[in-house]
Amino acid sequence: MPSQLSYSDLASLMKRCAGLTVDPELMRTRPDSTFEEYGLDSLGLLAIVGELENQYGTPVEPGAESSKTPGDFLDVVNTSLTTGA
Amino acid sequence: MNATVETTSRARKHIRGAAITGMGIVAPNGVGTDAFWKGVREGITFLDRLTREGCEDSPLRIAGQVRGFEPGSVVEERYLVQTDRFTHFAMTAAELALDDARLPRKDMSPYAVGVVTASGSGGGEFGQRELQQLWGKGPRYVGPYQSIAWFYAASTGQISIRGGFKGPCGVVANDEAGGLDALAHACRSIRHGADAIVVGAAEAPLAPYSVVCQLGYEEMSLARDAGRAYLPFTADACGFAPGEGGAMLIVEEEGAALRRGARVRGRILGHGATFTGPSMWERSREGLAQAIRVALDEAECAPEEIDVVFADALGTPEADRAEALAIADALGAHGTRVPVTAPKTGFGRAYCAAPVLDVASAVLAMEHRVVPPTPYVTDVCHDLDLVTGSSRACGARTALVLSRGLMGCNAALVLRGPEGDM
Repeated sequence: MPSQLSYSDLASLMKRCAGLTVDPELMRTRPDSTFEEYGLDSLGLLAIVGELENQYGTPVEPGAESSKTPGDFLDVVNTSLTTGA
Repeated sequence: MNATVETTSRARKHIRGAAITGMGIVAPNGVGTDAFWKGVREGITFLDRLTREGCEDSPLRIAGQVRGFEPGSVVEERYLVQTDRFTHFAMTAAELALDDARLPRKDMSPYAVGVVTASGSGGGEFGQRELQQLWGKGPRYVGPYQSIAWFYAASTGQISIRGGFKGPCGVVANDEAGGLDALAHACRSIRHGADAIVVGAAEAPLAPYSVVCQLGYEEMSLARDAGRAYLPFTADACGFAPGEGGAMLIVEEEGAALRRGARVRGRILGHGATFTGPSMWERSREGLAQAIRVALDEAECAPEEIDVVFADALGTPEADRAEALAIADALGAHGTRVPVTAPKTGFGRAYCAAPVLDVASAVLAMEHRVVPPTPYVTDVCHDLDLVTGSSRACGARTALVLSRGLMGCNAALVLRGPEGDM
Protein backbone atom coordinates (compact mmCIF):
# COMPACT_ATOMS: atom_id res chain seq x y z
CA MET A 1 0.00 0.00 0.00
CA PRO A 2 1.44 3.38 -1.01
CA SER A 3 2.20 5.75 1.81
CA GLN A 4 0.47 9.09 2.16
CA LEU A 5 1.74 12.00 0.11
CA SER A 6 3.47 14.66 2.19
CA TYR A 7 4.19 18.34 1.53
CA SER A 8 7.79 17.35 1.06
CA ASP A 9 6.78 14.81 -1.62
CA LEU A 10 4.66 17.49 -3.27
CA ALA A 11 7.57 19.92 -3.30
CA SER A 12 9.78 17.29 -4.98
CA LEU A 13 7.11 16.66 -7.59
CA MET A 14 6.76 20.38 -8.25
CA LYS A 15 10.51 20.53 -8.80
CA ARG A 16 10.69 17.46 -11.02
CA CYS A 17 7.55 18.04 -13.09
CA ALA A 18 7.36 21.81 -13.27
CA GLY A 19 10.84 23.11 -12.48
CA LEU A 20 9.64 24.98 -9.38
CA THR A 21 11.61 25.33 -6.18
CA VAL A 22 9.12 25.54 -3.33
CA ASP A 23 9.75 25.27 0.41
CA PRO A 24 7.58 22.36 1.71
CA GLU A 25 7.39 24.01 5.13
CA LEU A 26 5.80 27.07 3.57
CA MET A 27 3.11 24.92 1.99
CA ARG A 28 2.60 22.95 5.20
CA THR A 29 2.09 26.09 7.29
CA ARG A 30 -0.03 27.73 4.60
CA PRO A 31 -2.07 24.89 3.06
CA ASP A 32 -4.54 27.41 1.65
CA SER A 33 -1.92 29.32 -0.32
CA THR A 34 -2.56 28.78 -4.03
CA PHE A 35 -0.58 26.86 -6.61
CA GLU A 36 -0.73 30.01 -8.69
CA GLU A 37 1.31 31.82 -6.02
CA TYR A 38 4.02 29.19 -6.43
CA GLY A 39 3.94 29.52 -10.22
CA LEU A 40 2.33 26.13 -10.84
CA ASP A 41 -0.05 26.22 -13.78
CA SER A 42 -2.72 23.69 -14.74
CA LEU A 43 -0.41 21.75 -17.05
CA GLY A 44 2.15 21.48 -14.28
CA LEU A 45 -0.46 20.09 -11.90
CA LEU A 46 -1.59 17.66 -14.58
CA ALA A 47 2.01 16.50 -14.97
CA ILE A 48 2.18 15.88 -11.20
CA VAL A 49 -1.05 13.86 -11.23
CA GLY A 50 0.24 11.80 -14.17
CA GLU A 51 3.51 11.16 -12.37
CA LEU A 52 1.69 10.03 -9.20
CA GLU A 53 -0.61 7.72 -11.15
CA ASN A 54 2.38 6.13 -12.86
CA GLN A 55 4.20 5.76 -9.54
CA TYR A 56 1.25 4.23 -7.73
CA GLY A 57 -0.08 2.31 -10.69
CA THR A 58 -3.58 3.45 -9.83
CA PRO A 59 -5.74 6.40 -10.92
CA VAL A 60 -5.95 9.41 -8.65
CA GLU A 61 -9.49 10.53 -7.90
CA PRO A 62 -10.88 12.95 -10.51
CA GLY A 63 -10.62 16.53 -9.36
CA ALA A 64 -7.04 16.37 -8.12
CA GLU A 65 -5.85 18.05 -11.30
CA SER A 66 -8.15 21.03 -10.68
CA SER A 67 -7.12 21.61 -7.04
CA LYS A 68 -6.25 25.23 -6.37
CA THR A 69 -4.18 24.78 -3.19
CA PRO A 70 -1.61 22.30 -1.88
CA GLY A 71 -3.94 21.48 1.03
CA ASP A 72 -6.84 20.56 -1.23
CA PHE A 73 -4.56 18.59 -3.50
CA LEU A 74 -3.12 16.46 -0.69
CA ASP A 75 -6.63 15.85 0.69
CA VAL A 76 -7.88 14.52 -2.64
CA VAL A 77 -4.78 12.47 -3.37
CA ASN A 78 -4.49 10.97 0.10
CA THR A 79 -8.20 10.16 0.24
CA SER A 80 -7.82 8.54 -3.14
CA LEU A 81 -4.85 6.49 -1.92
CA THR A 82 -6.69 5.35 1.20
CA THR A 83 -9.90 4.33 -0.56
CA GLY A 84 -7.99 2.83 -3.48
CA ALA A 85 -5.93 0.64 -1.11
CA MET B 1 5.22 55.23 -61.01
CA ASN B 2 5.54 58.87 -59.94
CA ALA B 3 2.11 58.75 -58.42
CA THR B 4 3.10 55.68 -56.42
CA VAL B 5 6.26 57.33 -55.15
CA GLU B 6 4.40 60.48 -54.18
CA THR B 7 1.76 58.51 -52.34
CA THR B 8 4.43 56.56 -50.52
CA SER B 9 6.30 59.74 -49.62
CA ARG B 10 3.18 61.32 -48.25
CA ALA B 11 2.34 58.22 -46.32
CA ARG B 12 5.82 58.00 -44.91
CA LYS B 13 5.48 61.32 -43.16
CA HIS B 14 2.86 59.71 -40.96
CA ILE B 15 4.45 56.31 -40.69
CA ARG B 16 5.74 55.25 -37.34
CA GLY B 17 9.21 54.00 -38.26
CA ALA B 18 10.81 50.86 -36.84
CA ALA B 19 14.17 51.14 -35.13
CA ILE B 20 16.28 48.23 -33.89
CA THR B 21 17.39 49.11 -30.37
CA GLY B 22 18.52 45.75 -29.04
CA MET B 23 19.89 42.44 -30.27
CA GLY B 24 20.37 39.07 -28.57
CA ILE B 25 22.04 36.10 -30.22
CA VAL B 26 22.61 32.41 -29.55
CA ALA B 27 24.58 30.82 -32.38
CA PRO B 28 27.27 28.20 -33.03
CA ASN B 29 29.79 31.06 -32.92
CA GLY B 30 28.75 32.13 -29.46
CA VAL B 31 26.15 33.52 -27.10
CA GLY B 32 25.74 37.29 -27.22
CA THR B 33 26.40 39.76 -30.01
CA ASP B 34 30.07 40.25 -29.12
CA ALA B 35 30.95 36.57 -29.41
CA PHE B 36 28.81 36.23 -32.53
CA TRP B 37 30.34 39.24 -34.23
CA LYS B 38 33.89 38.20 -33.43
CA GLY B 39 33.32 34.94 -35.28
CA VAL B 40 31.47 36.56 -38.17
CA ARG B 41 33.92 39.41 -38.62
CA GLU B 42 36.94 37.13 -38.62
CA GLY B 43 35.25 34.58 -40.84
CA ILE B 44 35.92 31.88 -38.26
CA THR B 45 34.45 28.52 -39.20
CA PHE B 46 32.10 26.69 -36.86
CA LEU B 47 30.79 23.86 -38.99
CA ASP B 48 31.88 20.47 -37.76
CA ARG B 49 30.89 16.86 -37.25
CA LEU B 50 27.34 16.45 -36.02
CA THR B 51 27.77 14.90 -32.58
CA ARG B 52 24.33 15.27 -31.04
CA GLU B 53 23.32 12.08 -29.23
CA GLY B 54 21.42 9.80 -31.55
CA CYS B 55 22.85 11.39 -34.70
CA GLU B 56 26.12 9.44 -34.70
CA ASP B 57 25.08 7.28 -37.67
CA SER B 58 23.18 9.95 -39.54
CA PRO B 59 23.95 10.52 -43.21
CA LEU B 60 24.06 14.20 -42.24
CA ARG B 61 27.65 14.67 -41.12
CA ILE B 62 28.29 18.38 -40.94
CA ALA B 63 26.26 21.03 -39.13
CA GLY B 64 26.57 24.19 -37.07
CA GLN B 65 25.93 23.23 -33.45
CA VAL B 66 25.50 25.47 -30.42
CA ARG B 67 27.85 23.91 -27.87
CA GLY B 68 28.04 24.40 -24.13
CA PHE B 69 24.77 26.31 -24.01
CA GLU B 70 23.48 26.89 -20.45
CA PRO B 71 19.98 28.34 -20.70
CA GLY B 72 19.58 28.13 -16.92
CA SER B 73 21.96 31.04 -16.49
CA VAL B 74 19.42 33.36 -18.14
CA VAL B 75 16.00 31.67 -18.00
CA GLU B 76 14.31 30.17 -14.93
CA GLU B 77 13.96 26.38 -14.70
CA ARG B 78 10.15 26.55 -14.62
CA TYR B 79 10.24 27.78 -18.22
CA LEU B 80 12.96 25.38 -19.27
CA VAL B 81 11.14 22.19 -18.18
CA GLN B 82 8.13 23.04 -20.30
CA THR B 83 9.91 24.15 -23.46
CA ASP B 84 12.07 22.78 -26.25
CA ARG B 85 15.62 23.75 -27.08
CA PHE B 86 14.39 26.13 -29.81
CA THR B 87 12.48 28.07 -27.17
CA HIS B 88 15.48 27.98 -24.81
CA PHE B 89 17.44 29.70 -27.57
CA ALA B 90 14.65 32.20 -28.25
CA MET B 91 14.04 33.06 -24.59
CA THR B 92 17.75 33.51 -23.95
CA ALA B 93 18.20 35.68 -27.04
CA ALA B 94 15.12 37.73 -26.08
CA GLU B 95 16.47 38.40 -22.60
CA LEU B 96 19.84 39.45 -24.03
CA ALA B 97 18.08 41.73 -26.52
CA LEU B 98 15.93 43.33 -23.82
CA ASP B 99 19.05 43.99 -21.77
CA ASP B 100 20.82 45.42 -24.79
CA ALA B 101 17.91 47.77 -25.54
CA ARG B 102 17.57 48.77 -21.87
CA LEU B 103 13.85 48.74 -22.50
CA PRO B 104 12.21 50.50 -19.53
CA ARG B 105 9.74 47.67 -19.02
CA LYS B 106 8.46 48.92 -15.68
CA ASP B 107 7.44 52.26 -17.15
CA MET B 108 5.72 50.81 -20.21
CA SER B 109 2.18 49.57 -20.54
CA PRO B 110 2.25 45.78 -20.93
CA TYR B 111 -0.10 46.27 -23.88
CA ALA B 112 2.47 48.44 -25.68
CA VAL B 113 4.95 45.58 -26.08
CA GLY B 114 4.37 42.55 -28.31
CA VAL B 115 6.26 39.46 -29.41
CA VAL B 116 6.64 37.95 -32.89
CA THR B 117 8.70 34.89 -33.77
CA ALA B 118 9.12 32.79 -36.87
CA SER B 119 9.52 29.04 -36.75
CA GLY B 120 10.10 26.42 -39.40
CA SER B 121 9.67 23.23 -37.42
CA GLY B 122 8.79 23.82 -33.78
CA GLY B 123 10.27 21.73 -30.98
CA GLY B 124 11.58 18.47 -32.39
CA GLU B 125 13.77 17.42 -29.49
CA PHE B 126 11.03 17.73 -26.88
CA GLY B 127 8.58 16.06 -29.23
CA GLN B 128 10.92 13.15 -29.87
CA ARG B 129 11.39 12.55 -26.15
CA GLU B 130 7.64 12.44 -25.55
CA LEU B 131 7.00 10.25 -28.60
CA GLN B 132 9.60 7.82 -27.29
CA GLN B 133 7.68 7.74 -24.01
CA LEU B 134 4.46 7.13 -25.93
CA TRP B 135 5.79 4.16 -27.89
CA GLY B 136 8.20 2.91 -25.25
CA LYS B 137 6.00 3.04 -22.16
CA GLY B 138 2.52 4.14 -23.17
CA PRO B 139 0.32 7.22 -23.39
CA ARG B 140 0.23 7.75 -19.62
CA TYR B 141 3.93 8.58 -19.74
CA VAL B 142 3.57 11.49 -22.16
CA GLY B 143 3.86 14.72 -20.19
CA PRO B 144 1.26 17.45 -20.60
CA TYR B 145 3.85 20.03 -21.64
CA GLN B 146 4.16 18.18 -24.94
CA SER B 147 0.91 19.93 -25.86
CA ILE B 148 2.69 23.29 -25.96
CA ALA B 149 6.43 22.63 -26.22
CA TRP B 150 6.59 21.26 -29.77
CA PHE B 151 4.35 23.97 -31.15
CA TYR B 152 5.60 26.67 -33.53
CA ALA B 153 4.01 29.31 -31.30
CA ALA B 154 5.82 28.17 -28.13
CA SER B 155 8.59 30.77 -28.24
CA THR B 156 6.27 33.72 -28.77
CA GLY B 157 3.99 32.48 -26.00
CA GLN B 158 6.70 31.85 -23.44
CA ILE B 159 8.55 35.12 -24.12
CA SER B 160 5.23 36.92 -23.77
CA ILE B 161 4.34 35.13 -20.52
CA ARG B 162 7.77 35.53 -18.95
CA GLY B 163 8.08 39.21 -19.87
CA GLY B 164 4.43 40.08 -19.24
CA PHE B 165 4.17 41.42 -22.80
CA LYS B 166 0.49 41.68 -23.66
CA GLY B 167 0.68 43.76 -26.84
CA PRO B 168 0.29 42.41 -30.38
CA CYS B 169 1.80 38.93 -30.58
CA GLY B 170 2.21 36.68 -33.57
CA VAL B 171 3.93 33.65 -35.02
CA VAL B 172 5.06 33.15 -38.57
CA ALA B 173 5.17 29.42 -39.34
CA ASN B 174 7.16 29.38 -42.51
CA ASP B 175 10.32 28.33 -44.27
CA GLU B 176 13.55 30.33 -44.03
CA ALA B 177 12.05 33.53 -45.45
CA GLY B 178 9.71 33.65 -42.46
CA GLY B 179 12.49 35.20 -40.40
CA LEU B 180 12.27 38.36 -42.49
CA ASP B 181 8.48 38.19 -42.62
CA ALA B 182 8.43 38.22 -38.80
CA LEU B 183 10.40 41.48 -38.83
CA ALA B 184 7.94 42.94 -41.33
CA HIS B 185 5.11 41.81 -39.05
CA ALA B 186 6.77 43.65 -36.16
CA CYS B 187 7.10 46.82 -38.26
CA ARG B 188 3.39 46.66 -39.08
CA SER B 189 2.55 46.33 -35.39
CA ILE B 190 4.72 49.38 -34.66
CA ARG B 191 2.99 51.26 -37.46
CA HIS B 192 -0.37 50.36 -35.97
CA GLY B 193 0.51 51.69 -32.55
CA ALA B 194 2.71 49.26 -30.60
CA ASP B 195 5.69 50.87 -28.88
CA ALA B 196 8.02 47.87 -29.00
CA ILE B 197 8.09 44.35 -30.40
CA VAL B 198 10.41 41.54 -29.31
CA VAL B 199 10.97 39.85 -32.66
CA GLY B 200 13.12 37.21 -34.29
CA ALA B 201 13.55 33.49 -34.69
CA ALA B 202 15.45 30.59 -33.20
CA GLU B 203 15.57 27.01 -34.40
CA ALA B 204 16.90 23.74 -32.98
CA PRO B 205 16.75 21.33 -35.91
CA LEU B 206 19.56 18.98 -34.89
CA ALA B 207 17.74 16.44 -32.70
CA PRO B 208 17.73 12.95 -34.30
CA TYR B 209 14.05 13.05 -35.24
CA SER B 210 14.40 16.51 -36.76
CA VAL B 211 17.49 15.48 -38.70
CA VAL B 212 15.65 12.49 -40.17
CA CYS B 213 12.89 14.82 -41.34
CA GLN B 214 15.45 16.98 -43.12
CA LEU B 215 17.08 14.08 -44.93
CA GLY B 216 14.33 14.46 -47.52
CA TYR B 217 15.65 17.86 -48.54
CA GLU B 218 17.73 17.29 -51.62
CA GLU B 219 19.31 20.72 -51.08
CA MET B 220 20.87 19.64 -47.77
CA SER B 221 24.55 18.81 -47.98
CA LEU B 222 25.64 15.32 -46.92
CA ALA B 223 29.32 16.14 -47.40
CA ARG B 224 31.69 14.51 -44.92
CA ASP B 225 34.18 17.34 -44.72
CA ALA B 226 33.34 20.65 -43.01
CA GLY B 227 35.44 22.52 -45.56
CA ARG B 228 33.41 21.17 -48.44
CA ALA B 229 29.90 21.00 -47.00
CA TYR B 230 28.53 24.48 -47.71
CA LEU B 231 30.12 26.28 -50.63
CA PRO B 232 27.54 28.54 -52.27
CA PHE B 233 28.40 30.44 -55.45
CA THR B 234 31.23 28.05 -56.23
CA ALA B 235 31.60 25.23 -58.75
CA ASP B 236 31.71 22.86 -55.76
CA ALA B 237 28.31 23.92 -54.38
CA CYS B 238 26.67 20.76 -53.01
CA GLY B 239 23.90 22.07 -50.78
CA PHE B 240 23.67 23.76 -47.41
CA ALA B 241 24.79 22.73 -43.95
CA PRO B 242 22.02 23.12 -41.37
CA GLY B 243 22.65 25.10 -38.20
CA GLU B 244 20.90 25.91 -34.95
CA GLY B 245 20.43 28.99 -32.78
CA GLY B 246 18.87 32.31 -33.55
CA ALA B 247 18.52 35.98 -32.86
CA MET B 248 15.90 38.17 -31.22
CA LEU B 249 15.70 41.90 -31.77
CA ILE B 250 13.94 44.73 -30.02
CA VAL B 251 12.16 46.87 -32.59
CA GLU B 252 10.75 50.16 -31.32
CA GLU B 253 8.86 53.08 -32.72
CA GLU B 254 11.75 55.25 -33.77
CA GLY B 255 10.49 58.53 -32.35
CA ALA B 256 9.77 57.01 -28.95
CA ALA B 257 13.11 55.22 -28.96
CA LEU B 258 14.95 58.48 -29.63
CA ARG B 259 12.93 60.34 -26.99
CA ARG B 260 13.86 57.82 -24.31
CA GLY B 261 17.49 58.10 -25.33
CA ALA B 262 17.76 54.57 -26.70
CA ARG B 263 20.67 53.65 -28.89
CA VAL B 264 19.23 53.13 -32.36
CA ARG B 265 21.33 50.39 -33.93
CA GLY B 266 19.52 50.22 -37.23
CA ARG B 267 16.24 50.88 -38.96
CA ILE B 268 14.03 48.60 -41.00
CA LEU B 269 12.93 50.49 -44.09
CA GLY B 270 11.34 48.01 -46.44
CA HIS B 271 10.26 44.41 -46.91
CA GLY B 272 9.03 42.36 -49.82
CA ALA B 273 7.84 38.76 -49.98
CA THR B 274 6.85 36.45 -52.83
CA PHE B 275 6.23 32.75 -53.43
CA THR B 276 7.50 30.73 -56.36
CA GLY B 277 7.08 27.10 -55.28
CA PRO B 278 9.14 24.55 -53.34
CA SER B 279 12.51 23.64 -54.82
CA MET B 280 11.77 25.51 -58.03
CA TRP B 281 14.99 27.44 -57.77
CA GLU B 282 15.07 28.69 -61.33
CA ARG B 283 11.75 30.40 -60.69
CA SER B 284 13.05 31.90 -57.46
CA ARG B 285 15.04 34.31 -59.67
CA GLU B 286 11.89 36.15 -60.63
CA GLY B 287 10.35 35.88 -57.15
CA LEU B 288 13.41 37.09 -55.30
CA ALA B 289 13.95 39.97 -57.75
CA GLN B 290 10.35 41.02 -57.22
CA ALA B 291 10.73 40.82 -53.42
CA ILE B 292 13.79 43.06 -53.69
CA ARG B 293 11.90 45.58 -55.84
CA VAL B 294 9.00 45.69 -53.40
CA ALA B 295 11.38 46.14 -50.45
CA LEU B 296 13.29 48.92 -52.23
CA ASP B 297 10.05 50.63 -53.18
CA GLU B 298 8.76 50.57 -49.63
CA ALA B 299 12.13 51.84 -48.42
CA GLU B 300 12.14 54.55 -51.10
CA CYS B 301 15.62 53.38 -51.84
CA ALA B 302 17.32 53.33 -55.23
CA PRO B 303 19.24 50.17 -56.17
CA GLU B 304 22.51 52.17 -56.14
CA GLU B 305 21.97 53.05 -52.48
CA ILE B 306 22.39 49.43 -51.45
CA ASP B 307 25.90 49.21 -50.01
CA VAL B 308 26.00 45.54 -49.10
CA VAL B 309 23.91 42.45 -49.79
CA PHE B 310 23.56 39.57 -47.32
CA ALA B 311 22.77 36.73 -49.69
CA ASP B 312 20.48 33.78 -49.10
CA ALA B 313 23.29 31.54 -50.41
CA LEU B 314 21.40 28.27 -50.55
CA GLY B 315 24.39 26.45 -51.97
CA THR B 316 23.10 24.47 -54.95
CA PRO B 317 24.24 25.49 -58.45
CA GLU B 318 20.72 26.17 -59.68
CA ALA B 319 19.67 28.17 -56.62
CA ASP B 320 22.91 30.17 -56.53
CA ARG B 321 22.57 31.04 -60.20
CA ALA B 322 18.99 32.17 -59.63
CA GLU B 323 20.04 34.37 -56.72
CA ALA B 324 22.92 35.97 -58.60
CA LEU B 325 20.58 36.69 -61.52
CA ALA B 326 17.86 38.02 -59.19
CA ILE B 327 20.34 40.48 -57.67
CA ALA B 328 21.32 41.59 -61.17
CA ASP B 329 17.69 41.83 -62.29
CA ALA B 330 16.69 43.97 -59.32
CA LEU B 331 19.82 46.09 -58.84
CA GLY B 332 20.94 46.36 -62.47
CA ALA B 333 24.64 46.93 -63.12
CA HIS B 334 25.03 47.86 -59.46
CA GLY B 335 24.29 44.23 -58.65
CA THR B 336 27.63 43.09 -60.01
CA ARG B 337 29.57 45.80 -58.13
CA VAL B 338 27.95 45.82 -54.69
CA PRO B 339 29.71 43.71 -52.04
CA VAL B 340 27.78 40.51 -51.36
CA THR B 341 28.40 38.25 -48.38
CA ALA B 342 27.02 35.12 -46.72
CA PRO B 343 28.42 34.75 -43.18
CA LYS B 344 26.10 31.81 -42.59
CA THR B 345 28.46 29.51 -44.49
CA GLY B 346 30.58 29.67 -41.33
CA PHE B 347 27.92 28.38 -38.93
CA GLY B 348 25.12 26.85 -40.96
CA ARG B 349 21.68 27.66 -42.10
CA ALA B 350 19.30 27.79 -39.17
CA TYR B 351 16.07 27.89 -41.19
CA CYS B 352 13.86 30.82 -40.03
CA ALA B 353 16.67 32.05 -37.81
CA ALA B 354 19.13 32.30 -40.70
CA PRO B 355 17.93 35.63 -42.13
CA VAL B 356 17.45 37.11 -38.65
CA LEU B 357 21.09 36.29 -37.88
CA ASP B 358 21.89 37.98 -41.21
CA VAL B 359 19.98 41.08 -40.10
CA ALA B 360 22.04 41.09 -36.89
CA SER B 361 25.22 40.69 -38.97
CA ALA B 362 24.12 43.54 -41.23
CA VAL B 363 23.53 45.86 -38.27
CA LEU B 364 26.92 44.93 -36.80
CA ALA B 365 28.61 45.32 -40.19
CA MET B 366 27.24 48.84 -40.55
CA GLU B 367 28.25 49.70 -36.97
CA HIS B 368 31.79 48.40 -37.45
CA ARG B 369 32.14 49.64 -41.04
CA VAL B 370 33.26 46.32 -42.44
CA VAL B 371 31.64 43.65 -44.56
CA PRO B 372 32.31 40.24 -43.05
CA PRO B 373 33.50 37.43 -45.31
CA THR B 374 31.87 34.24 -46.55
CA PRO B 375 33.80 31.50 -44.72
CA TYR B 376 35.07 28.42 -46.58
CA VAL B 377 34.32 30.00 -49.97
CA THR B 378 37.17 30.93 -52.30
CA ASP B 379 36.52 30.65 -56.05
CA VAL B 380 33.25 32.32 -56.97
CA CYS B 381 31.74 31.22 -60.27
CA HIS B 382 29.01 33.85 -60.56
CA ASP B 383 29.08 37.48 -61.55
CA LEU B 384 28.99 38.75 -57.97
CA ASP B 385 31.46 40.63 -55.81
CA LEU B 386 31.31 38.04 -53.04
CA VAL B 387 33.46 39.01 -50.04
CA THR B 388 35.69 36.05 -49.22
CA GLY B 389 38.77 35.41 -47.10
CA SER B 390 38.71 38.32 -44.66
CA SER B 391 36.36 41.19 -43.92
CA ARG B 392 36.45 44.23 -46.13
CA ALA B 393 36.42 47.83 -44.93
CA CYS B 394 33.21 49.41 -46.13
CA GLY B 395 31.26 52.29 -44.67
CA ALA B 396 27.94 50.71 -45.56
CA ARG B 397 24.85 52.70 -44.64
CA THR B 398 22.18 50.60 -46.29
CA ALA B 399 22.00 46.82 -46.39
CA LEU B 400 19.82 44.37 -48.27
CA VAL B 401 19.14 41.00 -46.64
CA LEU B 402 17.81 38.16 -48.81
CA SER B 403 16.20 34.89 -47.89
CA ARG B 404 14.58 32.01 -49.72
CA GLY B 405 12.97 28.98 -48.21
CA LEU B 406 12.85 25.33 -49.14
CA MET B 407 9.07 25.60 -49.37
CA GLY B 408 9.22 28.33 -51.99
CA CYS B 409 9.03 31.67 -50.18
CA ASN B 410 11.33 34.56 -51.07
CA ALA B 411 11.87 37.66 -48.99
CA ALA B 412 13.99 40.81 -48.97
CA LEU B 413 14.57 43.38 -46.25
CA VAL B 414 16.19 46.82 -46.52
CA LEU B 415 17.99 48.10 -43.42
CA ARG B 416 19.75 51.35 -42.74
CA GLY B 417 22.29 52.20 -40.09
CA PRO B 418 21.47 54.72 -37.37
CA GLU B 419 23.06 57.74 -39.03
CA GLY B 420 22.52 56.73 -42.59
CA ASP B 421 19.50 58.86 -43.41
CA MET B 422 19.51 60.86 -46.60
